[in-house]
Amino acid sequence: MTGPMVRADGVRKRFGAHEVLCGVDLTVDRSEVVCIIGPSGSGKSTFLRCINHLEKISGGQLYVDGHLVGYRRRGNKLYEMREREVAAQRIDIGMVFQQFNLFPHMTALGNVIEAPIRVRKEPRQEVIRRSKELIDRVGLSSRMDAYPAQLSGGQQQRVAIARALAMRPKLMLFDEPTSALDPELVGEVLDVMRDLAAEGMTMVVVTHEMGFAQEVASKVAFMDEGQILEMGPPRELFRDPQHERSRTFLSRVL
Amino acid sequence: MEEKHTVLPASAGRTSGEDGPDSEDLVVVPIRHYGRWIASAIVLLFLASLVHSIANNPNFLWPVFFEYLFSEVMIDGLELTVLLTVVAMIVGISGGIVLAVARLSANPVVSGLTAGYLWFFRGTPILVQLIFWYNLAALFPVISIGIPFTGPTFFEGSANDLITPFTAAVLGLGLNEAAYMAEIVRAGILSVGTGQDEAARALGMRRLLAMRRIILPQALRVIIPPTGNETIGMLKMTSLVSVIALSELLYSAQTVYSRTFETIPLLMVACFWYLVLTSGLTFAQSVIERRLGRSTAAASARPNWLPGWRRQK
Repeated sequence: MTGPMVRADGVRKRFGAHEVLCGVDLTVDRSEVVCIIGPSGSGKSTFLRCINHLEKISGGQLYVDGHLVGYRRRGNKLYEMREREVAAQRIDIGMVFQQFNLFPHMTALGNVIEAPIRVRKEPRQEVIRRSKELIDRVGLSSRMDAYPAQLSGGQQQRVAIARALAMRPKLMLFDEPTSALDPELVGEVLDVMRDLAAEGMTMVVVTHEMGFAQEVASKVAFMDEGQILEMGPPRELFRDPQHERSRTFLSRVL
Repeated sequence: MEEKHTVLPASAGRTSGEDGPDSEDLVVVPIRHYGRWIASAIVLLFLASLVHSIANNPNFLWPVFFEYLFSEVMIDGLELTVLLTVVAMIVGISGGIVLAVARLSANPVVSGLTAGYLWFFRGTPILVQLIFWYNLAALFPVISIGIPFTGPTFFEGSANDLITPFTAAVLGLGLNEAAYMAEIVRAGILSVGTGQDEAARALGMRRLLAMRRIILPQALRVIIPPTGNETIGMLKMTSLVSVIALSELLYSAQTVYSRTFETIPLLMVACFWYLVLTSGLTFAQSVIERRLGRSTAAASARPNWLPGWRRQK
């Protein structure tokens, strides 16, 4: 299929009276890495969570790989999808969380093989073989049988990335993947993400790592108060921000 | 830089003790707890005199105690007590899981009805419930299973035949326990962070799969300790079914002493067996808790043979 991997048209999200997203437009092409930056509370994470329907949008339209997320359209009506269909949509979308969210009662390998075996129903031996390769790729072949509590934050996050990749997603979402890490552990996680980008994975990354955004992103989107105020190639956006608020924000973080 | 002096355990003894302040090794003398020694001596003295007076009090009829300790009637009662505890706990735990999930359901009718169930079964005495179940036949002489109000019945039987003292006891104890277990399981489920559920869903898991593979196994760590207490409580609660003439441990003792009037020794036999069982359960509970704690073993190093109640420093 061609066409963009993600297309957001005027996506809105309200929590009660509070409007978190007020019309977000964004297109992510295949093999593109889009970094979303902006002050905290600007709705970056909420928007990311809408992409795999962890949050239900309150307005606008959101497509992943040409399909509406969470709804089916018939005529001019949108039918909410059943839980089974939503789950099926999520199979193709990997997500990495700020707090890793590894399953603490399973080993590193157990975390990675769980979903391919239980959700995709792939043969166990084959999944184990592939998962070991993935864990090796994120540089943790010696910690296969360690439980999350025995791993450092950076190691946990790398296992979490391997876990998401084990489902062979078309799209990877990263929700501030390095924000909960000690500074000296940030690099190892960014290295893995950099490799992933180089291999052509489509990625949407909410991040505060401006260096990473500058180096890896094909597009950087600046978000504030529930809207994307400015978007462009990192070099342009970082060097010459057009909008007043992006200028203030960047002058503070760069 | 090395420390000025090395602290040695008291057992290391004196080395160059009297050398003055420049000495490399200084001996640490722990506080002597004289008060503890005195208090212990007093308490132990009282205990010894208590044991002595009980052992030598002829009214306790110790020969009778030993005569009945392994007697057939008491062992039969013991077996029934164990069986009742096991079956009632199975009913209670499985019922509790179902009720807990129903209580957390988004469906207001389901969660509301569950709340009503908990309200009723936790709000009335278990003794009353047991007598109620035992007398169910008076309310519903015929019990049938089928589609309500209309249609075929799949099963029909006389309540008098169905509700034996044993089924009444299992129903009474089990359904009551389910209400308490529901709250324990619910607390366990709620103790697992929402991040776990989100991670599971982001991987494409459906709610039931995530519950079974991700949430419940983690909730178990919170659920197991109070469940152990509930099991021990259930073991003792089975003695209540003596009121519906089911010959478990207490009722067996009662049947003997109502005939021989050797009340105290028979009750001592019953207590002895209750203590044996609860001790076993306490030990089993600590073994299970340790197993479940494996995944966090690195976070909290602890000797792996100590039972749970000695684990704190």
